[in-house]
Amino acid sequence: MSHAAPAVGPGASTPAPVTILLVEDDEVIRRSVAMALERYGYHVIAAGDGLTGLELFREGRHDLLLLDVMLPGLDGIGLCRRIRETGTDPILMMSARGDALDVVSGLEAGADDYVVKPVDTAVLVARIRSLLRRATFTPTAAGTGGRADQAGSPGRLDQSGQHIQSGESGQGQQHARLVFGELAIDTGGLEVSLSGEPVALAPTELRLLLEFAANPGIVLDRQTLLRNVWDYGWDGDTRVVDLCVQRLRKKIGAERIETVRGFGYKLRR
Amino acid sequence: MGTVRSLLHWRSLRWKIALLVAVACGAIALTVGLLVHRSTYERSVNDGAARAFSVLDTALGSTNPDDASGLVHDPAQMPPELVREARAHGEAHVFDESNQYRPEMWASRKLPDGQLVAVSVDMTPDQLSRAALDRHMWKYSLLVLAVVVPLSALAAELPNRRLRRVARTARRIETGDLDARTRMRGRTGDEVAEISVTVDSMADSLRDRLLSEQRFTADVAHELRTPLMGLVTSAELLPESEATDLVRDRVQVLRTLVEDLLEISRLDAGVEHAEPRPVVLAEVVRESLARTGLDARLTVNNAPAAAETDPRRLDRILANLVINAHRHGSGPVEVTIEGTTVVVRDHGPGFPDSLLAEGPQRFRTGTAERGRGHGLGLTVASGQARVIGASLGFSNAAGGGAVATLRLPSTDATHT
Repeated sequence: MSHAAPAVGPGASTPAPVTILLVEDDEVIRRSVAMALERYGYHVIAAGDGLTGLELFREGRHDLLLLDVMLPGLDGIGLCRRIRETGTDPILMMSARGDALDVVSGLEAGADDYVVKPVDTAVLVARIRSLLRRATFTPTAAGTGGRADQAGSPGRLDQSGQHIQSGESGQGQQHARLVFGELAIDTGGLEVSLSGEPVALAPTELRLLLEFAANPGIVLDRQTLLRNVWDYGWDGDTRVVDLCVQRLRKKIGAERIETVRGFGYKLRR
Repeated sequence: MGTVRSLLHWRSLRWKIALLVAVACGAIALTVGLLVHRSTYERSVNDGAARAFSVLDTALGSTNPDDASGLVHDPAQMPPELVREARAHGEAHVFDESNQYRPEMWASRKLPDGQLVAVSVDMTPDQLSRAALDRHMWKYSLLVLAVVVPLSALAAELPNRRLRRVARTARRIETGDLDARTRMRGRTGDEVAEISVTVDSMADSLRDRLLSEQRFTADVAHELRTPLMGLVTSAELLPESEATDLVRDRVQVLRTLVEDLLEISRLDAGVEHAEPRPVVLAEVVRESLARTGLDARLTVNNAPAAAETDPRRLDRILANLVINAHRHGSGPVEVTIEGTTVVVRDHGPGFPDSLLAEGPQRFRTGTAERGRGHGLGLTVASGQARVIGASLGFSNAAGGGAVATLRLPSTDATHT
């Protein structure tokens, strides 16, 4: 991952605050959301249009991007696409229209999640936290939700798995190399490669792939994925799952993740 | 299986066309057959008469008594008609078919002494050959029909198939697939091409209208929600006070109103589609009631193990019904699940008559309750019920209180 988790910053006794890059053209929203997030302990840098947002993004001081869809000049979807050309930074979109045009295009462009305005600060913060958890979990930081799943999975896979090789046997459960045909996942270094070439995955895509890799050949329904990857309760939008699977397929090969009509998806061994 | 059933569907256009062809062919065959039958009969009568006269003349001119043995001299043995005709005209012939199995041709002449002499010729071979001809005509007519009718049914299959395609497309458009087109314009200049072009252009204009409606709804949503978002977040930032509570309360009301209105316009525009999945109905209802935070007593009577519905929309419906029951009725609110039917009942004054008569109307609440709520909740509930294929009925209980009955489509029906 390109950006380090603030929590494990070197020599920080008081952890540096998480910095959020907010790109929003409505001034009232920009200022009030910035103030509200600062109350929750985040540091906010804000831009009023897409191009300024892109400049601030290139300065690289942020940990997470919060993008409005409708922006003057370069809009949020275009901005999201530009960011995804080079980076895997966590991106949360805010849509006021909330229709398929905004939501689907935003997710297609590579956003990890979206919220519809007006949104309560508590809900927004919950989405930001969930996204940061996905973006910042590290192989050594045991005990997070992500680690717990992974620690369990390699052992289970080794017992059943014809296709799975345990990479470094000395480290055993903690670090495993899962191989599915051309696709190799290092659950320790969190590196994914396809035919030997490294693949850059956005945080949600990586988290989703790990979820599939922990249950190879097993059908995972959208609700389960929404709960385990996005931390949604009962009311998540299943389009988030579908579009993230689409993006993941583009990067690791379409045939690797199979659609089980009416149920969900499964990783082909 | 479906093809066989559709092939045997007797009211299909295919068989109607085949029937028409059969009737036309039958009429032609019958006319030609009758004409042939008639002319053969006439020729046979003329030939028979000529033969009978030649037999008569041979017998009269011969001295051989064997030849004369067939002659009849007694008028009593002759057909009366022959006697009458011969007496009047000097000679006559009559075809006697009184004996069905042995038709005879009589020929008679009046001798110079005024006596009548006659002879009869057996016409059975003629009759047999005529009958054979009739049989042949029947046989070949039927044979041709047996070939032509299935052939015409097959030929009718081509326009039939195009018509079915038009019907299929129209059905797809009806179910919301606005990109469905017949794409058959200009291939043939017939009526089927005309109707398919009409269906396509209808779908085009329908889609254009819907798209502009959707765009408008989305733009309205953007214009309303953007300032609302600033308002919601700013209100959260205010220091706690009584005045802040008032502001937050009104912001919340405004927010609910805007969301309800946007939801109704999306429902009206027909852009909402259900995402059904198998759920345990009782569980969904229980969780939904818990989320409202309001008192509601749940009773479950023989609920099916699994129902297929869109839980998010079901939640919207139930929440709106329960909130409405608390706002306009009074407790206790009772929710009952009976099979795939969910009933929400309160113990208030019941639904107003206008609602029972016309269904929920926007912004129309009972006059007594005006100002409390906006009357959008039930409209939203009705619209969402339509989206998930359920029916939502309103009535008043005998003992007082409003009763809203939500009938979900039964699981069996969704699988067939």
